[in-house]
Amino acid sequence: MSASSATAPRSASPPQPGEAILDVDHLHVAFQTPDGPVIAVEDVSLTVRKGEFLSIIGPSGCGKSTVFNVVGGLLTEHEGRVSVAGETIVGPHPSIGMVFQEESTFPWRTVIDNVAFPLELTGMPKAQRLERARHFIEMVGLQGFERRYPGELSGGMRQRVSLARTLASEPKILLMDEPFAALDEQTRLLLGDKVLQIQQELQQTTLLITHNITEAVQMSDRILVMTYRPGKAKRIVEIDLPRPRTSEIVGSEAFGRYVAQIWADLREEASRGLTDDETSRNRGSAS
Amino acid sequence: MSKASRGPNALAFAVGIGCLVVFLLVMEALIQFGFVNRFIIPPPSEVAMSFERVIVEEDILHRFLLTATECLTAGVMLTVFGVIGGVLLHRFKLLQQACETWIAAAASAPVVLMYPLFLVIFGRSAWTIIMIGFVAALPPVILKTLEGLSDTRRVLVNVGKSFNLTPMQSFWKILFPAALPTIFVGIRLGLIFALINIVGVEFLINFGGLGQLINELAERYDLAGTYAAICFVILVSVVFFMSLERIERWLRPAH
Amino acid sequence: MAATGSLTASAPVRGRPNRVTLLRIGIIVAVLAGWELLSRSGWLYRDVVPSLFAIGKAIVALLSSGEYYFHLGVTAGEILAALAIGGVLGLIVGLLLGGNRFLAAAFESYLYYLGPTPKIIFFPILIMWFGVGPGSKIAMGVLSAFFPIALSVAAGMREIDRVLIRVGKSFRATTWQMATKIYVPAMRHPIINGVRLGLGVGLIGTLLAETKLSNKGIGYLIIQAYTLFDMPRMYAMLIVLFVLAIGANALVGRLGGLSNIKRR
Repeated sequence: MSASSATAPRSASPPQPGEAILDVDHLHVAFQTPDGPVIAVEDVSLTVRKGEFLSIIGPSGCGKSTVFNVVGGLLTEHEGRVSVAGETIVGPHPSIGMVFQEESTFPWRTVIDNVAFPLELTGMPKAQRLERARHFIEMVGLQGFERRYPGELSGGMRQRVSLARTLASEPKILLMDEPFAALDEQTRLLLGDKVLQIQQELQQTTLLITHNITEAVQMSDRILVMTYRPGKAKRIVEIDLPRPRTSEIVGSEAFGRYVAQIWADLREEASRGLTDDETSRNRGSAS
Repeated sequence: MSKASRGPNALAFAVGIGCLVVFLLVMEALIQFGFVNRFIIPPPSEVAMSFERVIVEEDILHRFLLTATECLTAGVMLTVFGVIGGVLLHRFKLLQQACETWIAAAASAPVVLMYPLFLVIFGRSAWTIIMIGFVAALPPVILKTLEGLSDTRRVLVNVGKSFNLTPMQSFWKILFPAALPTIFVGIRLGLIFALINIVGVEFLINFGGLGQLINELAERYDLAGTYAAICFVILVSVVFFMSLERIERWLRPAH
Repeated sequence: MAATGSLTASAPVRGRPNRVTLLRIGIIVAVLAGWELLSRSGWLYRDVVPSLFAIGKAIVALLSSGEYYFHLGVTAGEILAALAIGGVLGLIVGLLLGGNRFLAAAFESYLYYLGPTPKIIFFPILIMWFGVGPGSKIAMGVLSAFFPIALSVAAGMREIDRVLIRVGKSFRATTWQMATKIYVPAMRHPIINGVRLGLGVGLIGTLLAETKLSNKGIGYLIIQAYTLFDMPRMYAMLIVLFVLAIGANALVGRLGGLSNIKRR
């Protein structure tokens, strides 16, 4: 934390946990499809407190990415209210930084120019923004790669570039949609460690969307389990594991209990998703 | 397709046609009221009327068949030499390494500008036209054949090896069928290039089929006839591309 | 030009560069020797296959005559003007079609099917509209270059990775910032590729128009050599023209960094 305090002043004063910063109130989202309306998210309410790491977990098709898009302000057609520090979200909010699931670095920009992108948009002078970009590149452990193009990096490194780019905009809330989904298991664990370390260092309020139980338990203070279609909030699990954490915690007994508990919740939902998938596929092949 | 997506597309199609019709009507009006010189742009109605005259008086069927024969001859040559060339380059890697860039470069050279040279070599005959069509369109056929053969998935070739296929069997049973869709893309491109160059050279050297027709009508200062003939040639080429595309799509699912 | 030299040299020569180079030299020597033999044998009409010496002499004569550069300048000017006009028109139309599904559904198939039709047959009309001077040649080039550029830009715009646009929006980029920092750089390859295709066909259109009716330009010189039956000069002009065209094509590709795509 001391290393970052020079350039990231917001982390200098530790936030008081408990103070709500993001508020999702009775969120309801429906999509029009050729087969009629589909309810993606039904009556989801949640509160993220300052400095907290909250994960939303659910099987694929539970509408968790929809929550991501709504909170990020990219999807504005919904019922219910989403607010950041009391301000209702009507579009992308400056306090929220998004990390996407897909490969999202700009292939025509070097690593440092990618990370400096949000600063460039605000009109920050070049020397200053490059210096700040360098700071965040170091934070994600990519020093020495500043002048490389994303195409020359591995998938895990590119995802770290995206993370650094979002951190560079110094969001009050870091919003991530399965940022490790496209990576292999080892890279995923190591990158998870990195995210955890940075989050703890910056006391960064984080909302993570994931379908990976280990990942969610490893990083979160609280986990919201969602049901399969329509996506409803099924349960909130408090993860009472000591901090600072690393991936080593994965071996502990308490960790195992949490995983088992969440899996028990998820299993039912995931298998509903599976049978749903099969019936729709059979229907598809029959017609 | 769902009903939802068909609606807007039909509307868009109607708007496209509608704009064309409105454009023609506006031109007609501008010319009839003298805002545009009718000796530079003939009224669309006059062009439409001269279609019949051009078709009947200018022996258009014969011309069409002439151009079609030239294209067909060039197309057969393209297919034979282009595919054989691509296979040879694929078979002999050293040759490929030596020549592939040359062929790619040749594809970006304005080969059709050699037509005066071909005129000297082949005289003012159909062969000048066919050879230009052939030479100008050869590089893409070779390159696409090579691409199709080289991009065949490794695992398919390994399947062949696991069945102890001889190299000859492996080529005919695996490589060639796998590459066929890409090869046909090459042949289609080749035929399009051949048609463009053949009609162009017919026009330029005033010999042969449809291209010459336009030149003759223009030299006779038959404006409406020239416009009608151009429309006709464009129509013929569009129908030609559409049918090539159909054939390609029809061939594709077989693989 | 220099670009062609490096184009040849940059070929994939992994593994056995010496054998490839040897083969290349072998092919070139064989072709030249075969040519010279054919030229001396007298099997073809005299002068159809002039000796290498005659062609070499013609190339030197060509490159050392000021008149040639005048005509080259005329043609180059026409092509550049055609590319500029056709490029701007193509870019505008391409952006409209790529950005709006409805417009694309209404009009793009017209462009798609008109694109690969023989454009030179419009030349009689273009002479009526733009006169017998450079105007009609530029128009010919514009008509040729417009289609590939417009179609390439439209397709490129549709193929932009949607997530990059979402990234821009999530950082609250303004419309201008979205255009200059995301759309245009994301479309750089299709744009350059369109310009390359446009240059290729625009060059052909302009030159063919010159061979049909003109009193200056490279196309005019080629036809003049044909009417005078000066075969070495015609070969010389075709060789120089091909080298220039291939070089210009490679240069546009290199400027756009196309040679780097595969490595990334």
